[in-house]
Amino acid sequence: MDKYGDYLYSYALYRISDLSLAQELVQDTLTAAIEAKKNFKGKSSEKTWLTGILKYKIIDSIRKKYREPVFDSNFFESTTTADNFDKNGKWKTGPAKWASNPEHLLEQKSFLNIVKQCLKDLPKRPARALALREMEGESTRIICDILNVTRENCWVILHRARSLMRKCIEARWLEEK
Amino acid sequence: MINHWIFRCRDVSYLISRSMDQKLPLRTRMGIKFHLMMCDLCLRYKKQLELIHNAITKIEDNEVSEDLITPLPDEIKKEIQDKLEK
Repeated sequence: MDKYGDYLYSYALYRISDLSLAQELVQDTLTAAIEAKKNFKGKSSEKTWLTGILKYKIIDSIRKKYREPVFDSNFFESTTTADNFDKNGKWKTGPAKWASNPEHLLEQKSFLNIVKQCLKDLPKRPARALALREMEGESTRIICDILNVTRENCWVILHRARSLMRKCIEARWLEEK
Repeated sequence: MINHWIFRCRDVSYLISRSMDQKLPLRTRMGIKFHLMMCDLCLRYKKQLELIHNAITKIEDNEVSEDLITPLPDEIKKEIQDKLEK
């Protein structure tokens, strides 16, 4: 617990951004780990093993326990990224240039850290959708089912998540440079 | 659904995201392509989304770095510890 608690907690947190759920999942993971200790053959490190269990718990919890309430239209209002555009649908302030060689950004630790921070700061629902889609590679069909929304709304949520991520990364990255 | 042949930036930004989740009809794909040929901002937007996708996939493989560790509150730790001992 003392050794891996903080690590597992942080891992969960930046995937689901929900404090109490993250705590619960850490507890579940450790409980499961203690029960399954004899199955741990030391093939991987303890940390990797625990992370594996946690990852499974995260997906499972998103799938089963935390079905979202039915989509409400107020939420939809706030999901549109309309304020990025003028009334003709043109960019008000378009995306800024991040680097002369954007591919190199992936090699930069400081950039990846910003991406992580931004993932953590996303609102819950887009964060969950994005985690399922980009990290676990789930199809939108499954994600819609988990989030309890129609497919159209699911695409909108993912769009919003990506757009927020982009904005967040841009702000932090340009500030850091 | 957006039915115009000529897309606006607002629609294209949504469709770019959507194309990452679903194969779009040919007509729509052509519309996006056509728009991107003329619109540097949307093209940049598309490249940034792809970069973000790659970055997320990349960090998924990495561990949580030290500076991002959020300590589990002590009272919660104690609570979990107590439950585990039972």
